[in-house]
Amino acid sequence: MNIRKAFSVETICPKLNGKNKEEIITELLTQLSWSGKLNKNDIPAACDAIMQRERKMSTGIQDGVAIPHAKFSGVDELVAVMGLTDSDGVDFESLDGQPSHIIILTLSPENKPVPHVQFLAELSECLLDADTRQTLISAETANDILTIFQNYNK
Amino acid sequence: MTLVKKKWLLKLVPLIVICLTSTLVFASSGGDNNGASMTHKMTYFVLQLAVIVVSARLLGFIFSKYLKQPAVLGELCAGMIIGPYALGSIDLPLIGQLFHIQNALMPVTTELYGLATVASIILLFLAGLETDLAVFIKYSVAGTLVGIGGVIGAFFLGDYLAVFFGVATGFMDPIALFLGAISTATSVGITARILSEKRKLDSPEGVTILAGAVIDDVLGIIILAIVIGIAKVGGSGNNVDWGSIGIIAAKAFGFWIVCTALGLILARKITNIMKWFKSTETIASLSLGLALLLAGLSELAGLAMIIGAYITGLSLSRTDVVNELHHRLSGIYSFLVPIFFCVMGMLVDFSAMRGALVFGIVYTVFAVFGKVAGCALPALLMKFNLRGALRIGFGMLPRGEVALIIAGIGLSTGIIGADIFGVSILMTLVTTLIAPPFIVSLFEGKPGIEQSEDDDAQSRTIQLRFPHIDIANFVIKRLTLAFRNEQFFVHRIDSDFRLYQMRKDDLSLSMTLNESTIIITSCKKSSMIARFVIAEEMLELGEAFESLKNMSEVKKMSADLISGAVIAK
Repeated sequence: MNIRKAFSVETICPKLNGKNKEEIITELLTQLSWSGKLNKNDIPAACDAIMQRERKMSTGIQDGVAIPHAKFSGVDELVAVMGLTDSDGVDFESLDGQPSHIIILTLSPENKPVPHVQFLAELSECLLDADTRQTLISAETANDILTIFQNYNK
Repeated sequence: MTLVKKKWLLKLVPLIVICLTSTLVFASSGGDNNGASMTHKMTYFVLQLAVIVVSARLLGFIFSKYLKQPAVLGELCAGMIIGPYALGSIDLPLIGQLFHIQNALMPVTTELYGLATVASIILLFLAGLETDLAVFIKYSVAGTLVGIGGVIGAFFLGDYLAVFFGVATGFMDPIALFLGAISTATSVGITARILSEKRKLDSPEGVTILAGAVIDDVLGIIILAIVIGIAKVGGSGNNVDWGSIGIIAAKAFGFWIVCTALGLILARKITNIMKWFKSTETIASLSLGLALLLAGLSELAGLAMIIGAYITGLSLSRTDVVNELHHRLSGIYSFLVPIFFCVMGMLVDFSAMRGALVFGIVYTVFAVFGKVAGCALPALLMKFNLRGALRIGFGMLPRGEVALIIAGIGLSTGIIGADIFGVSILMTLVTTLIAPPFIVSLFEGKPGIEQSEDDDAQSRTIQLRFPHIDIANFVIKRLTLAFRNEQFFVHRIDSDFRLYQMRKDDLSLSMTLNESTIIITSCKKSSMIARFVIAEEMLELGEAFESLKNMSEVKKMSADLISGAVIAK
């Protein structure tokens, strides 16, 4: 999947309300189900899969970015949803101890080779850039965020 | 001991069977080797092939194993020994002459030359596939200058010498042009192997040689295209029609540029269509078909077949199926290519060469000088000192398969005679023989570069040390699977030790095992994905190992296995 084409207005939450890791993940999964990319009934199971991965090691990478992800049998292609928290951020038990502001959640099918990790690596590379992070955090609407991703690397 | 003898006997059985059947066949047909019937011709062809395959392989083996020389030289010598100008002309009982001279232009049969032509197409197709455009682009400046310098030096000295010795009437005489073209084509295979053994392939000189060889190949092929174009319209030294030569050169260059550009643009689309078959065998066959098609088309366009084959390989070299293609075609390559070199050796007419011996020696000396000086001078002007420049010059010295193919084309089209063909073989042999000792001694000692290498161009290395070699072995297997799951093409380069290459589009990584340490090398672009894939895999493995550690009954399970208590009745 290409970063520029990974998201749509439906898979972007410009303002997340959750106050902790689990709430944020449920909120993003709900958004994903609204976009039609995840069955509504699969939300609890998908949340479990992601939390299980989080227990092995937090996906809060650094500089306020978290990339929760898991393999999940309820999807048959790589799906992504992203959101921004309020200015306080949410504790994602990240590597640098900082709260996370930009949360990008991905699910990939269980028994099918998809370039999931490659997508995560590209995302991290994109978000390593402080300017990109800053423009994302200061974006107001889903459309603004979408434009930032669509123009990435152009 | 007896077992070893038995093994040898078993190996000899097929040979004895071949000899016996051939005797019977020829006894029944009266041994007339000029018979025109198709069966007769084919029987003869098969017998020749049997001798070629076995002798080329044997001499290739002796050369590489005992004389520490490239197998190519052994195969070439095998051809000289068994060919129509040597042992092949001996009248054998019942068979007659196994290889008798067909005609003055082409001493071997059409069937044999046809097979050698197919082999040369496969050879250049694979050479194109192996062309590492990424390396070339990364080190393009030094590599391009070294490559161009070597080609210019070798071409003009070769061409000039032909005129100076009166072999050709002028600089644009096809013979002179061919002698120039034959002298341009470097074959870095042997240099690459020596440098790889000495762990110098990643040195600035090594990388420059590899990049220079790419531009050398490309330029050599373009020069060949132009030379053949000129030769086909019958250019001569006396009245040079620059207008028509210009048109031919433009046409040849245009064909090359258009085909290469189209190939590079369309390659991924084509491979995506081929992937629809979901079988690497099919992809390999279709790609080979494509190479043959383009080879034929380029011949029709007035160029040589190998040009089309090389362009096809070059185009596919940037796709992610390149390793699979290489893997699938290596079998047919290792069977056919020795036949090609052996047939080339068979074309050497020793008596014709005698007259051109002095010219041959001078041509060889100039071929050495032209290439070394042509490559070393630009290197000296770049960041290299004299030591580094000489390393590069001698590294680019060996000529090989492409020189032989060009000489073969010259002979078969009647542009060069048996004498000049012999001279070309002599030059190829000598340059390949004298280069290795120079390369080995030149690469000893101090670095060949004044400033340190640009940090951004360096590859990234990740080292993972494990407490036990078995765990490292297990992890490396898991990692290859993880990369496959990310839709990488994983290719085991060396079967003797664990060396893997993972490729996807323009991402490339290599992974190897050194005792219990896994070493992963990647370029800057693929470094992040390498780290992520490994990190995710290690988390999974951590959990798996943890669960094994918690398995309190490992000892009991082993005891049950040994005692047989686990067998269900």
